[in-house]
Amino acid sequence: MQEQPQTHCPNCGAPAPFRGTAVSLVCEYCNSTIVRRGVDITLIGQVSALVDNGSPIILGSRGRFKGTPFEVAGRLQVAYGRGSWNEWFVNFADGTTGWLADAQGQFAITRPKNQQVVAGRVPPYANIAVNSTIVIDGIPAVVVDRRAATYKGAEGILPFEAEPGMLFHGVDLRGHKGEFFSLDYGTNPNHNSPIPYLGEAIKLADVGLHPLRQFKGWRRPAPPAAAGRAPGA
Amino acid sequence: MAAQAPSAPRKLFREEAQTGAINCPACGGPIELHGFGAVEQVNCPYCGSELAPEDSGDLQVVQAAQRARRESALPLHARCTLQGDNGPEDYEVIGIMWRECRVDGVVYPWQEFLLYNPYLGYRYLMFTMTDGSWALGQTLDGAPQLETGFGHRKVTFAKEKYKHFQTSVAIVSYVEGEFPWQVRVGDQAVAHDFIKPPISMSIEEAATEDGQDVNFTKMRHIDGAEVWKAFKLPGQPPRTSGVAMIQPNPYKKGRAITWILLAVMLVAWLVAAIAYVDGRSNKVVFSETGQTVTDTISQEIEIGTKGELTTLEFDFKASGLSNAWAYAEVMLISQDTEKAVGFGATAEEWHGVSGGESWREGDQSPTVTVGKVPGGTYLLQIAPSAGQQGSAANTPPTNLRMAYTLRENVVLGRYIVLPFFIILGFPIFFWLLARIYEGRRWSNSDYVSSSS
Repeated sequence: MQEQPQTHCPNCGAPAPFRGTAVSLVCEYCNSTIVRRGVDITLIGQVSALVDNGSPIILGSRGRFKGTPFEVAGRLQVAYGRGSWNEWFVNFADGTTGWLADAQGQFAITRPKNQQVVAGRVPPYANIAVNSTIVIDGIPAVVVDRRAATYKGAEGILPFEAEPGMLFHGVDLRGHKGEFFSLDYGTNPNHNSPIPYLGEAIKLADVGLHPLRQFKGWRRPAPPAAAGRAPGA
Repeated sequence: MAAQAPSAPRKLFREEAQTGAINCPACGGPIELHGFGAVEQVNCPYCGSELAPEDSGDLQVVQAAQRARRESALPLHARCTLQGDNGPEDYEVIGIMWRECRVDGVVYPWQEFLLYNPYLGYRYLMFTMTDGSWALGQTLDGAPQLETGFGHRKVTFAKEKYKHFQTSVAIVSYVEGEFPWQVRVGDQAVAHDFIKPPISMSIEEAATEDGQDVNFTKMRHIDGAEVWKAFKLPGQPPRTSGVAMIQPNPYKKGRAITWILLAVMLVAWLVAAIAYVDGRSNKVVFSETGQTVTDTISQEIEIGTKGELTTLEFDFKASGLSNAWAYAEVMLISQDTEKAVGFGATAEEWHGVSGGESWREGDQSPTVTVGKVPGGTYLLQIAPSAGQQGSAANTPPTNLRMAYTLRENVVLGRYIVLPFFIILGFPIFFWLLARIYEGRRWSNSDYVSSSS
């Protein structure tokens, strides 16, 4: 992997560990949002309004998805009129990235795909009805959620600049074999070229996510056996 | 070069998430918060006011209410241990919602308990108040596929087919506790239920101001006793009545078992039948041939073993019958008890020509079987009589000769045939019961008259 130049938070001077293609970072010392454009580091300000929405996932949680280890590197918190959910940005060991969606106890791992995969083959956001079936990348999937939501806050690193308060339009679909797809239409609902995120529904135990957050009165699940120390070590 | 950083990063949410206790800003009642940050709405158990947690942790009154608290089948914050795919799973009741639907003007209410485990997410435990049945649900990781074509509406998921049972509008009538989404009294959702007992697929559509969603929930029938055990509750669960939507059909339970049992029973029957036939002595206790109609018999004979019952077979053979009949009246008088056993046998032969076709009928060697005859000494009396067709009706045929044979310990056919039919009847009986049970289930569906 390419050596990353050391960067620092323009506000407090703490290390700002941008990795890979990360564009945005929330300083974990002073809560400033920092954006990297080329070699320029820009301070956006202390704008992250992340709330504790009870997620069991934390930055640095590690797991394994289809044999490839990954680490949770960032979180985008999204809010709509009646609730919020988290999109966790994950770095895979093979250098690729993905998202671990975390909405009301339901989880899915998706990877971004080229817009060409769906461009012109899906209706614009405004014309999509829930419970209708749309073929995505050759796989029929049912629209289960369609809503406009705003970026509420972030932590860690993100692959794009997410301005809090920005309204975006998203559609979630579920396939008949556990596939999970998201179509991100961005701020404009009147086009048919969303960014597709393709993946599948998961359970945290299935991907061996660890460590997890601690909750008063609840026993934390044991770490997955494969990741545990050897007996007597 | 770099400025001095603060000593430690904030490390968001690394500390243990805490439960909370707060007083209702509307009525002052104590409210326990066990849903952590996931909670979007809290309804005071006492006054029902709708409260929203603020980022600061305080509760803000969204809508004040003064409703009475209802007694639900399970209390808020009760914990249970349910069997999951990978072992036991703990859950806590953090929210209670009562919903109802109306069918033909009748209200069908049920209680929904929102079960929560911060690592496993949410489960839904439903208690149907009208029939006392329970079901445990969880959001489906996938979408069922609607079958196209004619016939009964069906959905498929993971290769299993589910038949449409009903479509109804579910209305929220009562809310208490914490929810990760907003729930209001009066909220409506259209629910389509597809079943393959003990499992159902529920497709529920809901719309809010900023979007719509559809939820696929897989429900599983769970016995009240199982719920009581999971929650370690004393006493008995509420009594059940009728047949619930996904209650397993007890008569269909192990269809394979029915067939295996049938095979085992048939083999046992065959073995028993062979042993029974093999064990009969068929011993001749009396035999006489060449008897004419004027010969009567009166003779003492020994039958079987004293103190045991036996089956007798009387063979009557008549020769020389031509459009005539012969009758043997048999009387066995026990010399021990003076009780009599009487029976008769008719031999006959009829023939003629009608419509150009010649015909012949009649049994000239009938057999009579008499069961449960006590062993002992008997006086055997045989009195024959005979007659002919037409003018000679009261004259016995001149060349009539008769033979009598009495056997003891013979095979009684019904001992073999009856068990066979009883055995065969079992699967038919269970099939019928299963049909009746399904009929009762589907009588609550949108398809009242048919079950197929």
